[in-house]
Amino acid sequence: MSKDGSSFFFPTLLSDAVKWAQKNSLWPMTFGTSCCGIEMMSTISSTYDLARFGAEVVRFSPRQADMLIVAGTITTKMAPVLRTIYDQMLEPKWVIAMGACSSSGGIFDTYSVLQGIDEIMPVDVYVPGCPPIPEGLIHAVMHLQNKIDNRIERMPAERPTPEDAMNAMTYRKDLYQIKADFTITPEYVKEQEAKREQKV
Amino acid sequence: MITRTNTFSPGAKFIETQGKVTARLTEKYGQDRKVELDKLEEPIIWAKNPADAKLLLKSFMIDPHLKVDYLSDVTAYDNEDKEDGDKRFVLVYNVTSIELHTRIRIKTLIDIDQEAMTISDVFKAANWLEREVFDMYGIKFQGHPNLRRIMMDERFTGFPLRKEYPIKRREPFSNNIPFHLGANPLKVDTHVTENGDKK
Repeated sequence: MSKDGSSFFFPTLLSDAVKWAQKNSLWPMTFGTSCCGIEMMSTISSTYDLARFGAEVVRFSPRQADMLIVAGTITTKMAPVLRTIYDQMLEPKWVIAMGACSSSGGIFDTYSVLQGIDEIMPVDVYVPGCPPIPEGLIHAVMHLQNKIDNRIERMPAERPTPEDAMNAMTYRKDLYQIKADFTITPEYVKEQEAKREQKV
Repeated sequence: MITRTNTFSPGAKFIETQGKVTARLTEKYGQDRKVELDKLEEPIIWAKNPADAKLLLKSFMIDPHLKVDYLSDVTAYDNEDKEDGDKRFVLVYNVTSIELHTRIRIKTLIDIDQEAMTISDVFKAANWLEREVFDMYGIKFQGHPNLRRIMMDERFTGFPLRKEYPIKRREPFSNNIPFHLGANPLKVDTHVTENGDKK
């Protein structure tokens, strides 16, 4: 403030204040479909108390939530439901894939199970374990806070669009042939970089 | 007549009633049907055809020596190696008498293009169980009120518990069927073959 009180400026960036607010009020939307859900409940309740890290109020409405915790096996029948919930959440939104099943399909490499929720939505943090211990989920939330704070870089995710998600849920053959013998070659990396530049 | 003792729980009370039930089955219904005992000495009766299975079920309910009043399960298994007969599937009805504490298993052979009789008019519980059998094996039930898929996505076309179905093959859903969230279920054409072609 100047001496006559006429002007005023923040000595910091507003964006930093917003980040600080966002990372300390991560309201989770829980999506527990199997045993990971039990560990998630334990994490949220009093013994481990996720509220200490700002994930205070568990919102069972996606429209009031910031962070989606997917805990459990997602079958192909459940995939459209999960994608709809993700679409209903307001930006900014983050996703934690908790446990082996939601990260990669886990032991359920079968005809009916989605091989990782990243087929239908972008994921920020994967928590390994079957199921992960509550400390694992707490670590994931703290990791996510660091990501929001830009202390850890949040990679520009190849966000699956609703169309991509539909394709993942409908299992078009051509999409899967690409994924089946997928190897990262220098040509592929260049191609992807070129694509990314085009988008920007 | 088959008489054996239960080697797994020799002192159990129900052995006597179980023996009586087996005797009754062989005596009255086993004239032209095969009656077996499984490892737990529980009787298995082979019905001649699916219609006969339903007839047996109804008569077991009336029979004062059997007193069948509870349907445990309707299931099936793939008889691809023809171990149990010359037809493709074996349909299994597990029925229980709560009063006598005995179980009876009715088995019947059924072919891939043959239709079974629904028993959902006898036991209401059979509705979902038959839907499950249809979902997993593609066995159709004549007269079923609501024969749709129950476990798999309704856009799914194959029958995953058939032996020829590769366990890891995820179904390429045909793109022209819209996806939905269950409020207005799609009507499943029961005549869709495994490749998604209509007969």
